[in-house]
Amino acid sequence: MSASGRIADVRAWFAGRALVVMALATAAVLVVMLYVPVGVVFSEALFVDGRFSVGNFRAVLADPFYLGVLAPVFADPLAVGTHLGALVGWLASISVSVSPAFPWFTLEVPDVRLGLFGFTAYQATLSTVASVVLGLPAAYVLANYEFRGRQTLRSLTILPFVLPGIMVAVGFYATFGQTGTLNSLLGLAGLGPYPFLGRYPLAVVIVAHAFYNAPLVARITVAAWESVDVRTVETARSLGASPRRAFRDVVVPQLLPAVLTGALLTFVFTFMTFPIVLALGGLQLATVEVWVYDRIRRLAFAEAATLAVLETIVTLSVTYAYLRYESAQAGMSRAASPPPREQLFPDVRTAFTPSRLAILGYGVVAAVVFVGPLASLIVGSVTDGSGFTLRYYAFLLERQVEGASFQTRPWPAIRNSLLFGVATLAVALPMGVVISVLTARAGRLGTVVDALAMLPLAVSGIVFGIGLLQGLVFGIALPGGWRLQVTGAVAIVAAHAVAAYPFVTRNVSPLLADLDPAMVESARALGATRARALLDVELPLVASGVVAGAAFAFAISIGEFSSTVILAAGSETYTMPVAVERYLGRRPGPAIAMGTLLLVVTAASFVVVDRVGGRFERD
Amino acid sequence: MNRRTVLRAAGAGVAGVTLAGCLTRNGDENGTPAEDDGPLRIATYTSMVDGYDPAGPWLKEAFEEEHPDAELEWTVPEDGVNLYVQQAQQDVEVDADLYFGLNVDDLVRVDEELGEGALFQPLDRDRLENAGRVRSDLEFDDPSGRVLPYDTGYISLVYDENEVDEPTTFEDLVDPAYEGTLLAQNAQQSDPGQAFMLWTIDAYGTDGYLEYWRELVDNDVDIRGDWDSAYNAYLEGERPIVVSYSTDQVFAVADDLDLSRHQVAFPNEQGYANPEGMAIFEGAQTDLAYEFVDFVLSSEAQAEIATRNVQFPAIEAEYVDLEDSFTDYAFEPSEAVTFSYDDLRGNLDGWTDEWSREIVGR
Repeated sequence: MSASGRIADVRAWFAGRALVVMALATAAVLVVMLYVPVGVVFSEALFVDGRFSVGNFRAVLADPFYLGVLAPVFADPLAVGTHLGALVGWLASISVSVSPAFPWFTLEVPDVRLGLFGFTAYQATLSTVASVVLGLPAAYVLANYEFRGRQTLRSLTILPFVLPGIMVAVGFYATFGQTGTLNSLLGLAGLGPYPFLGRYPLAVVIVAHAFYNAPLVARITVAAWESVDVRTVETARSLGASPRRAFRDVVVPQLLPAVLTGALLTFVFTFMTFPIVLALGGLQLATVEVWVYDRIRRLAFAEAATLAVLETIVTLSVTYAYLRYESAQAGMSRAASPPPREQLFPDVRTAFTPSRLAILGYGVVAAVVFVGPLASLIVGSVTDGSGFTLRYYAFLLERQVEGASFQTRPWPAIRNSLLFGVATLAVALPMGVVISVLTARAGRLGTVVDALAMLPLAVSGIVFGIGLLQGLVFGIALPGGWRLQVTGAVAIVAAHAVAAYPFVTRNVSPLLADLDPAMVESARALGATRARALLDVELPLVASGVVAGAAFAFAISIGEFSSTVILAAGSETYTMPVAVERYLGRRPGPAIAMGTLLLVVTAASFVVVDRVGGRFERD
Repeated sequence: MNRRTVLRAAGAGVAGVTLAGCLTRNGDENGTPAEDDGPLRIATYTSMVDGYDPAGPWLKEAFEEEHPDAELEWTVPEDGVNLYVQQAQQDVEVDADLYFGLNVDDLVRVDEELGEGALFQPLDRDRLENAGRVRSDLEFDDPSGRVLPYDTGYISLVYDENEVDEPTTFEDLVDPAYEGTLLAQNAQQSDPGQAFMLWTIDAYGTDGYLEYWRELVDNDVDIRGDWDSAYNAYLEGERPIVVSYSTDQVFAVADDLDLSRHQVAFPNEQGYANPEGMAIFEGAQTDLAYEFVDFVLSSEAQAEIATRNVQFPAIEAEYVDLEDSFTDYAFEPSEAVTFSYDDLRGNLDGWTDEWSREIVGR
């Protein structure tokens, strides 16, 4: 056989097995960058003095501080009678009082001690509801109406996602604080000042979580909305369904998986929340992750790992439950043909219809919650106690020009962020798509694999960082006195890709599951390889999901902090959020200016990501 | 292969893209003494090298001028001294010569993790010309004699005199007149937060401090995660009192801020002293490290560190001249409270745990 023939053979072999090769590569990245580091830390929870033990878990589960009223159940699971007695006692102490005044019935429920886990789940649930309530109207407007700047606004929905927690706190103080913008505006109307931040800390934390996550819900839902098949709506209408009925019976079922995906991600994120509750809420609103962080700082890894494992069990269980639902939704084939968009404000008269006024009202709320903090950051970067100033930017410029090698300069941070972001896209997109394809039609086992593939989202970021430090930066001991170490730019990109691919998977999987398997089968019957069928048949049909996932992957990479600082072993691999943190000090000015640069650079990149991505979508 | 070279190459950013993983032999690096001709590697915290006019770059330049053959290299490890404790635990080479910015609680944690007298070498003070000038009240009382202080801050209250009267005692803070006025920090993870908690232990004893905090919580104290978020909230007018440093006005003056909003209060006429220390790692390049420690305690360096790091010098006042811009606006309490190594050893974690559970469990 000739050499060129052999090369052609090899090439054909690879083409035929491209999917397998990619799956193996994905698995390899996951093992090195995820399973090994996380395993290193988790094993601390499971082994006491080198022997397997559940002692760590028993101690946490039986502690009312962590588990609240459930602790006695874990402490003594067999004492069913006692637990039932406690429950009956609690039920019995609920009292209803009847009074002639409104409300006529008042329900007196004795306090339930939630414990740290209970409270964490409670605030995550509230945050999820708030994010969905704030995110859905945005998705509705973006998917159904045409107006100037719609594309750009759609691109920018993801912007809040990349902001470091401390920046969000700064923006929130400046907007909602005692002397903030909102109170100044209310002051003009003779109202206030209201202690928005001081009096209702839990509400503030929930709004801050919605600030981060409502855009995420909106974005995922818009992507699904744009791939709704308008012909199914038309069919329903032609069969006599009212617009409302057609929406409820035809459109809603097509959107629900996306909305729930957004809700799931929000729950998982806010369950693991940490910087926001500490910056805005104070210690009284501490979550489990706050305790994980504290134990890590005190080098009490066993306790940290135990808490982290329990956190992971909670988030993975929620994910699994959702995925069971999602796979049950997989249904009929449909080619995307999105509904046409209406003009938002075609003329003056339409502007005063109830639906337009409602949209306007939502716009005001969105402006306060989303634009307010962002605008306050920008204003904060050019003002100080005495008025307009450019000295924070002058500081950045001076640091760029004269900064020493051990100092943080703005340009390398911007450059690294963008490079890592693009590289993360290149790695995370194939990883996410491969996992989607592998799990799409594998039934219940696929669901389990899919849930495990969500592990990067379910594992505490702080624990992941420690795992990377101990596993990869210090190196893994190999036989013969060798150590395998992984640090530097490649490790950072790999870590970012591992954190990002679940977003690609979660955006692509529901759409992929909706495709008719017959389409792939006929392509295969006509001689296409599995990879070719994926590339030519499936991907174009789910492009909106891939693009949405891509934007998330990029955003995750830009915003990532904890593993970046740990893997950036040299001083040359810091990113924009790292620079923001390093500039923080007694004077927040330079950090806010750097945060504004982060905003501008990422805003521009998202518009580009979406425009480039948009070319692959069938809009 | 030398691990430091590897890390440097891998960390060289985009140029080092191809070098992701690396195999090294344990025997090649562990236990090898630091190269005596390499740069002096000093680990510190961020604001020593970044931020406005930090002390780090000045120290590097001035030290290298005095020692033309030496090169000084700053590194800022994430999570401070913990990195080196873990390196020691995992049998990886500790890749620094000197730690600059050690607190007493760091030293306690080092010893609880690695055993007494670990990680750093005992300092031979006879080799240091300037060691005798250090204020004795700032000494770490380390039984192994590993640390010398180079400056100190005083935790105090900063308040807005347009909003509240000066709080003069701890009792004031639990008075209804001060309800909803105080911003403090989480003692689990913030230096001033921990200092403030220890200060209340000093005032009310280990039996009484939780009761005091219960009253503080009833009086609606707001406990933020770290100094940054608490101070930001203070700057935004969220509350009129914040636990901070007694040097606050130095910054306020430099930033043209209204001094009436930056008054310093010393409850019980005290402040909590948080001396910062330096220590030389075991296996470091000792000679140069000693030169640096001595240099830091020189009059010139002490004055620069004080004004740039905005902390008080660690040597007696007679040896150091401070600019008026510093002395006019940096206040020292008439009495300094501080917990020594012995006080904290074996107690700190328990106190902090009880404290945090008290706050969160309510």
